[in-house]
Amino acid sequence: MDLSVTLVHGLSLAAIYGLMAIGISLLWSSIGMINMAHGASFAVAGYAAWAASEAAKPLFLAAFGKTIAGTAAMAGLTLGTGALAGAMMGALIYLLAFLPIHDKPNFPVRSLIVTLALNLATVQVLLWWFGPRQKNLPKIFGTGKVEVLGISARYDQIGTIAATFLILGLVLLWLRVSRKGLEIRAMMQNPEGAVLSGISVRWTALPVTMLTGALAGLAAILLSQTIFVSPTSGAMPLIKGLTIALLGGLGSVPGAVLGAIIIGFLEAVIGAIPFLGQRYVLFGTFLFIIVVLILRPRGLGGLLDEARK
Amino acid sequence: MADVLEIEGLTAGYGPLRVLHDISFRVAEGERVGLVGLNGHGKTTLFRAISALVGWQSGSIRLLGAEIGGARSTGPGRKTPGIVRAGLAMAPQGDAIFPGLTVAQHLDCGAYTPLAWKERKRRREMVFDIFPPLRKLEHALVGRLSGGERRMVSVGRALMVEARLYLIDEPSLGLAPKISASVIEALFSLPQDGRAIVIAEQNVALLSGRVDRMVGMHAGRLRGDVGHVSLH
Repeated sequence: MDLSVTLVHGLSLAAIYGLMAIGISLLWSSIGMINMAHGASFAVAGYAAWAASEAAKPLFLAAFGKTIAGTAAMAGLTLGTGALAGAMMGALIYLLAFLPIHDKPNFPVRSLIVTLALNLATVQVLLWWFGPRQKNLPKIFGTGKVEVLGISARYDQIGTIAATFLILGLVLLWLRVSRKGLEIRAMMQNPEGAVLSGISVRWTALPVTMLTGALAGLAAILLSQTIFVSPTSGAMPLIKGLTIALLGGLGSVPGAVLGAIIIGFLEAVIGAIPFLGQRYVLFGTFLFIIVVLILRPRGLGGLLDEARK
Repeated sequence: MADVLEIEGLTAGYGPLRVLHDISFRVAEGERVGLVGLNGHGKTTLFRAISALVGWQSGSIRLLGAEIGGARSTGPGRKTPGIVRAGLAMAPQGDAIFPGLTVAQHLDCGAYTPLAWKERKRRREMVFDIFPPLRKLEHALVGRLSGGERRMVSVGRALMVEARLYLIDEPSLGLAPKISASVIEALFSLPQDGRAIVIAEQNVALLSGRVDRMVGMHAGRLRGDVGHVSLH
């Protein structure tokens, strides 16, 4: 197997899983909700971006032709629509699965059920509206390969890795320096202390659900550079994101990043070993996660920071 | 003087457990009240009922004349931010600590209301004047501080907001006698202009002679004034 190809593949997988896992982790730690509709946000964002790109394709072709400017405009449009649609789904989840039940007993279990129902309903709506045929998103990073220092990587892989680093960097910076970020971090670390400081859970939850929805939307656009958009395309990223968030210690952002990197590379390596191959990727990663959780039930989090228990 | 806090017939508890029985309690503007009593007799629950953090409660609680109590169908904590904005500051028992924030960020959290946020630098200085050891720890993570320093941060956070009623729950709990004395001392060094303070404390000696009056709490009921000690 070619080590450098595996390395780049692993890193690009880690980037997408990281976007999903951090969204799930942030939601859990700040408002105590396990969002099973995260996959629905993913799929809706994919379809919204597809619809927008289909509508804009003749327009952009007429305006820019087949130039870099045309690709860039298309990239901006799909990423923007994806993030926006994800954020709108986040707002919908807030309205249906948070606002009516957040102060009732057993909120984590209730919201789990409501978001799971939302997920199933959304998949059916997408299936009914768009049909079962898979859609192809425009290649926002163009097609081609580049070789740097003997490591060859596809444009979309480099684009995915770079975009994820940029997005996560911005999100973490925002959490660190802004007033809203201080609010969210206070709520993550001590919900009761936060309300005693006058921070309202109801008003902090909306930006969090929208932000995590937007992250899922961006992950959808980035992953759709290699796979197709379909009604059920959110299921696998949801499962991966959830298991990585668990592996990282639910609620720990550094843990989710570390978990995503480990799982991304593990998948790339298992897929590249000749006698194992793609068939054993899921088997191998889940086996790994099970072993880690048996040895360390709280996951990797807590090694790195203090997370909600 | 007008009453900052008026409680009439307050009964409260958690689940099937009734902790407070028909409590009536008033705090006047600028008054310093010591709430004394043994562990497990309801001091903390009374504070939590005022802050809307108990499971259920009935009866009337009025803060600055506005009703903040009443039967609560909503879960604990839902009304708390509104009550805080209306003029309540509370330092809970066992400290409200955000372990991953620095001391300065932690104090800023306390100045969350729009008015206090603008003044947060000045108020931070005020808290540092009250608790001098915190000044050099400004950028240290709260999770790394000692118990006494954490208590100062927790109480300091409550002091960041311009409230009319301050509830300080067991400021001496778990601290060495010398440190707890200095925390109490710092609390009483606050200017008294119109702000009422209620301090719940097991150690009566720490409060005696420093508060305007003391109220005893026993088995979920108030035992009237324990002693009327005036400073003025």
